[in-house]
Amino acid sequence: MAAERLGVPAAGIMTSQFVSAAELMARVLGAEGFPFVVIEHPISSAGSDGLEQRARTAIDDCARLLIQSQ
Amino acid sequence: MLSSRRHTATDYFAAQEYLHSRGWTDGLPVMPPTEAAVAAMLEYALLPADHLIGVESVRARAISAEKLAINAVMAGCLPSHFPIVVTAFTAMLQEPYLLHGATASTGGNAVLIIINGPVLQELGIDSTFNVLGASDRATAPIGRAIRLVLRNLMDVRPGQVDRSTLGHPGKISFCFGEDETNTSWTPLAQQRGVPEHASAVTVMAAGSPRQLMNEWTTQPEEILDTFVAEIKTNMRHYSIWPGNYAIVVPPQLRTHFESAGWSKSDIADYVFENARIYRRDWADCGKGAVVRHKGDQQYAALPDADHLMVVAAGGPAGGFGAVIPPWLGHKSRAVTMAVGACVDCE
Repeated sequence: MAAERLGVPAAGIMTSQFVSAAELMARVLGAEGFPFVVIEHPISSAGSDGLEQRARTAIDDCARLLIQSQ
Repeated sequence: MLSSRRHTATDYFAAQEYLHSRGWTDGLPVMPPTEAAVAAMLEYALLPADHLIGVESVRARAISAEKLAINAVMAGCLPSHFPIVVTAFTAMLQEPYLLHGATASTGGNAVLIIINGPVLQELGIDSTFNVLGASDRATAPIGRAIRLVLRNLMDVRPGQVDRSTLGHPGKISFCFGEDETNTSWTPLAQQRGVPEHASAVTVMAAGSPRQLMNEWTTQPEEILDTFVAEIKTNMRHYSIWPGNYAIVVPPQLRTHFESAGWSKSDIADYVFENARIYRRDWADCGKGAVVRHKGDQQYAALPDADHLMVVAAGGPAGGFGAVIPPWLGHKSRAVTMAVGACVDCE
C-alpha cells in the first residue's frame, strides 16, 4: 500500500486466514477495498508441492493486479 | 478541554452494558470514563488533553493523552497510576518495540510491564507474594489499561488486528514491580541506562511465564541450570530465535546468589553461555522437517548477555522462579523509559 502511494505498482499477498485482517488494515489506512492476492493457508506446513502451487497462483494473480493497478 | 464524543447512560449498569456492546471492554466490568475522572488523570500527570503521546507508525495514528486517560479510567486506574500508563505506551511506540507486529501476531504475546524506582513505594506496589498474579491496587489496572488502549485505539481486538491463535492470560494484564527493597542487586531500569533513583518502566512483548522450581541446591550454577533448561525448552518448543528473556528470581533463590557474590551481570553471563541448543534438537520434539542440513548449527537464546533481564520479585518462601520468553526472537526488543522523560524534545 505504501509502495502504491509512492507510485510504485505493488501487490500484497495474504493467506486466506488473514483476509479480514488485511481488509481491516486497508480500511484503517484509508484505502478501503484495496485489492490483494489471496493464497491458501497455511504456508509453513504446505510442503514443496503445496508451496509451488500457491506460488503459481500468486504469480498469475499478482501480474493481473499489477496491470490493473496501472 | 476534552474533545472526545460524549455518551450517556441512565445508571452504572447501563453504562457497563453500553460499553460492552460497543466492544470497548475486555469483558470485565469497567469504570465509566466520566469527564471528571478523565480530567483527574490528565491533571495528575500535568498533561493537556491534546498532548501528543506519539504516533503509531503503521497506521500513522496520533495518540493523545486524553484517549489514554479514558482507557486508564476504564481499566480502574487511579490518577497516580496514569504516568506509568503514559510511560509504558510511549515506550511501546518506540521503533525497537515493533508495536504493530507484536500486537497483530498469531504468536499471542502480551505486553509485559516491569516497574522500577521510587514510584514502587509511592503507588504501594507489592513485588512479593503472588507477584505475577495481581498483587496490589496498582499493577493490575496499569497492565489492563495498556490492553484497553490497544483494543480501543489500535483495533487490537481478537479476530481484528489481534490474530493470536491462543494468546495467554497475561494479555488481560501483565505488570509487576521489581522488589528493590529486599535485594542488593542493581534495579533492572538502572542496568538498562536509567539514572539511579528515577522511576522507570520496561516493556517487553512477552510470552506466558514458565514457572520452575529448584529448592535442592544452594549453588548458583545449579539454580541457573534450571532456568537455562526452561529457556532451552522454550527454544525447542516455541521459538529458536534469540531475543530478550526475563527471569524472575524470588528471595529464597536470591539468597544463594547473593551469598556467593553473584550479581545480575554474573547471572546474565552464565545464561548467555549456557542457554544454547542445536537445530538438530528440534528433531526430538516433532520438528525434524525443518532441521534439514543445518543440524549442527547452534543457536543462543540471547544475542548477548545484556538481553537477559534479571528481575528480583516474589514471595519470601519457595524456590520458584519464572522464565518469561520473548514473542519472536529479536524482532521486538524490550524498551526501558524513565517516567516523565521527554521523547523527541527540542
